[in-house]
Amino acid sequence: MNIEIRNVEKYYGDNQVLDIDYLNIEKEKITGITGPNGCGKTTLLNIIGGLDKEFLGEVFYDNNKFSKKVKQAMTIVFQKPYLLKRTVYENIEYPLKLRNMNKKESKAKVLDVMKKLEITDLMDKRGNKLSGGESQKVALARALVFNPKLLLLDEPTSNIDPEYIVTMENAITQFNLKNKGTIIIVTHNIQQSERLCHAVINMNRGKIQT
Amino acid sequence: MDYIVKGFKDALNLLVSFDKEVFSIVSLSLFVSITATIIGSLISVPLSVYFGIKEFRWKKLFSRITYTMMSIPTVVIGLVVVIILARKGPFGRFDLLYTRKAMIIAQVLLVSPYVFGLTYGLAKSRGEIIEKIGLALGANRLEIIVLIIRELKVDILVNVATSFSRAISEVGAVMIVGGNIKHHTRVITTTISMMNSMGDYPMAIALGIILILISFVIHSIIYSYSEEK
Ligand SMILES: Nc1ncnc2c1ncn2[C@@H]1O[C@H](COP(=O)(O)OP(=O)(O)O)[C@@H](O)[C@H]1O
Ligand SMILES: [Mg+2]
Repeated sequence: MNIEIRNVEKYYGDNQVLDIDYLNIEKEKITGITGPNGCGKTTLLNIIGGLDKEFLGEVFYDNNKFSKKVKQAMTIVFQKPYLLKRTVYENIEYPLKLRNMNKKESKAKVLDVMKKLEITDLMDKRGNKLSGGESQKVALARALVFNPKLLLLDEPTSNIDPEYIVTMENAITQFNLKNKGTIIIVTHNIQQSERLCHAVINMNRGKIQT
Repeated sequence: MDYIVKGFKDALNLLVSFDKEVFSIVSLSLFVSITATIIGSLISVPLSVYFGIKEFRWKKLFSRITYTMMSIPTVVIGLVVVIILARKGPFGRFDLLYTRKAMIIAQVLLVSPYVFGLTYGLAKSRGEIIEKIGLALGANRLEIIVLIIRELKVDILVNVATSFSRAISEVGAVMIVGGNIKHHTRVITTTISMMNSMGDYPMAIALGIILILISFVIHSIIYSYSEEK
């Protein structure tokens, strides 16, 4: 899914936190967003993800405005993921249930994505009883499982043990290659953006730096 | 002092002998308040979650009105229902005054603002993050409300139980609309109030004990349930 941002501005009261004249994010690519704390990365992601509708300007998705169809085709993984008070399995199954997938098909998908992210052993644990890192893994699995066209990731590996980051990155790259998913990933880690991304956008004080 | 001891002794007698009258009064109380709580909650819980997470103009004023509604005295609610149901009132032709249905209607009006207010506050403070997850994963409005109710179900049940306690222990509304008619609309609280004015303590004490027991059992269930969540 191609993303085009035109004249987007966001204010909190009198405080302008986002000011982007034009930004094009290529489809089927992995695009990184970097920049210091508070520069507006999460704000931008929430706007693209359709969660924040109080902004000026326009965002286009494959030349279309935001719609129900667009919403169903994308997802966002938050910096601090919130897991539902049900088992990890049911957490990952939830987006498939929303899309009325039958039990058998959805079971195969859930098991497959759990295996990819090496979280099969967490399957029966309660979502609200997991550690921060475990939650991030499950949240990524819950996003990948329904094969979105656009995947927005907000610092998805910030709580992850170093030896495990590779697994997550592989899952992200594979998703991009195999499923042609467009990915936007906010990261603090320059090496990570170099490993993963086809393009990197640098932000500072709400603006894109060139 | 003697009459107190005697009162308690006779009360215990009534309890252990499963006195028929006590039993029927307690059953009616439970029936009226449980029915009203269920109806009131089915209406109020989804609505309160809907308004709790919705952004709209006048929301602050709306909150204040909501919380004021919670503290309306029960006699006032009874009075309103009487005026509506009275022979000459808008619903007079249904002939509902001094019936169990009237008591249930009054208690629905009593329970609803309570369940609504408590759950509205809950959804306002804890619903947003759940709403965001629902939106991110592709849920529609209704699915988001269902999701929030499921996520907060323990807290919502506590609200419902609290409201039930309020319903079963109030006397003003059921007295006015039910009329405390023997074998018909007589419930725990109206009996206690009547027995008290007649100076007949054993029955009043027995019913008082039962009222406390009901409250204790409900809160124990809720408590153990919320422990294991
Ligand atoms: N709800 C809010 N109210 C007021 N200011 C906010 C709110 N959310 C974020 N901000 C401000 O907006 C700016 C950008 O925040 P954010 O997008 O979260 O930054 P980043 O994700 O790059 O660290 C920050 O200065 C932050 O303080
Ligand atoms: Mg951020």
